[in-house]
Amino acid sequence: MKRNAAKTGPLAGVIVLAVTLIVSIVALMNSIPLSVKEIFGYTKQFTGLTPRGNASIVDALEKTAREEAPKPLDRLIRARASNAEVQSLVGPWPFAVYGMKQDDMRWFVERMKGRLEGRWPEPGKPEAVVSEPVARNLGLKMGDSILGPDDSDRFSPQEVKIVGMVQGAEWMILTDIDYHSANHFPPVDGLMLFAGSAEDQAALDAWAEERFKGEPVRVFAWPLLEEETDAMFRHLYRILNVVIATLVIVITIMMAMLMNIHQAQRTQEFGLLQAIGYERSRLVRRILGEISIVVIGGWLLGAALAYGFMRLVKAQYMDPQAFSLNPVDPVAYLYTIPVPIVIFAAALITVLRRFAESDPVAIVERRLA
Amino acid sequence: MIELRGASLVYQDHGRQIHACREINLTLQPGEFLGILGPSGSGKSSLLYLMSGLKQPTGGAVEYEGKSLPGMTHSERSRLRLQDFGFVFQYPYLVGYLSALENVLSAAPQRDAQSEAEDLLNRLGLGDYGRRRPHELSGGQRQRVCVARALVGGRKVVFADEPTASLDHDSGLEVMRLLREERRDGALVMVTHDPTMLAGADRIIRIESGEIADPDWRASDGPTSSEGPAKTEIPR
Repeated sequence: MKRNAAKTGPLAGVIVLAVTLIVSIVALMNSIPLSVKEIFGYTKQFTGLTPRGNASIVDALEKTAREEAPKPLDRLIRARASNAEVQSLVGPWPFAVYGMKQDDMRWFVERMKGRLEGRWPEPGKPEAVVSEPVARNLGLKMGDSILGPDDSDRFSPQEVKIVGMVQGAEWMILTDIDYHSANHFPPVDGLMLFAGSAEDQAALDAWAEERFKGEPVRVFAWPLLEEETDAMFRHLYRILNVVIATLVIVITIMMAMLMNIHQAQRTQEFGLLQAIGYERSRLVRRILGEISIVVIGGWLLGAALAYGFMRLVKAQYMDPQAFSLNPVDPVAYLYTIPVPIVIFAAALITVLRRFAESDPVAIVERRLA
Repeated sequence: MIELRGASLVYQDHGRQIHACREINLTLQPGEFLGILGPSGSGKSSLLYLMSGLKQPTGGAVEYEGKSLPGMTHSERSRLRLQDFGFVFQYPYLVGYLSALENVLSAAPQRDAQSEAEDLLNRLGLGDYGRRRPHELSGGQRQRVCVARALVGGRKVVFADEPTASLDHDSGLEVMRLLREERRDGALVMVTHDPTMLAGADRIIRIESGEIADPDWRASDGPTSSEGPAKTEIPR
């Protein structure tokens, strides 16, 4: 097979390119919801409760949370939240700016395993702390404005300067609650309920969702966000599945045709070998062995090439903008599994059909080649 | 060694029955050089395929060393062809991506045939061409590689079906000389329409319309219609 590389090489090459293409498409598509989940990853840390329609119920809400929460609360933060935007692969994406007291802010950042560089916003001042991924995403540095009167995407009546940068993985924009309350809409306090552990937090999320069903309270929790994100991209994934299926079918048909041509070019070889005494089953085994090597080798090379390509895209394009991309996204590689299987099956049928129809005498006698 | 008793081969061609061989009775002795002469379409190649087990008779019997060839399984016949028989076909078919030496070795029944194959190529004047691929060889050189492939491993019978047809006359004579000289104790069955290529044959039979028209062509009187030159022109 190595000696026949001029013919087997292009076959393997097509598989390599097909696998690379499919992995790239799926991994890049997956990077959109992955980015969304990463942007809002901080919500894993708390359960958010916001009054709807009636801001005055927040005290009652706090009382309910403290008394009825199924797990002990590690902390309850009363905060303000308003909308800003960050950049995503599909354009601007809504993101919350939280107004908090300074001690709550310190605790929150510590909880997020962040490390502050710079200082905390002073009470009432138009100052903010942002995490490094947010700064990278928006192309900002210490001293730049994160919110301002001229920025429709991240509006604030005054220029809100970055005075502290949180080094860590979570995305966050934090301002002082006094400044936030005086300048941002809606004028509603929200509650952030922190449990002692991830398991307790999950229990708290489930409780809040059930407890406030039908009440004028908006619940923010990681499972809900995941669910909403998945629902948001469901149609996109249906389209993706059609695209991938079409791609697999087209590639498979193309490969089957190539295999057919390849085997047809070897008719003389197989006829000759059968005529001089090679058993048909031995030749079929040999050909299937060769096809297996081409298909599996092509898939492995394709997966390796795709990994390298995804690493390059991540380093050159995604990371500088804090977009998420998983070069070893298992789903992306799973999508490629039908390619070698279907190509092998097509080749198997082609080879068996050719051998069933071939007559070695006709080949050596009539010069069929 | 090979015995045909009333062997026939009939096949269908576009709904028409073709009698390629009709009740042939023939015996090949060990070490014998048997020439099969006949015009195009006379059934001489079909007879060779019957004798070598490449085709199965539709009537009569074909035996090799007392065993019925049609009675063997497909695998047994394949093994027999690979171990005991050598083949040289009209067109010098070689596996394109293998070197000349590898092509010879591809037909060697035993694994350690490298030195024998190299020796054969040397004797056939291809000592320097063993590493070359078929496309780097001339037609005559390719056919000599085919001869080496047919001989490697010391075959009991070498079947040659018009091995000189695609070569010029001198190259054809050279290939024939090599087949005669290098087959050692093996029998040689050679099909041709050119009697000049049958020099040194122990026996020449002539086939016409699927039947043996002349069981000993050289012993009979004068040349017949289409075989070309007179028998006296055959170099002995």
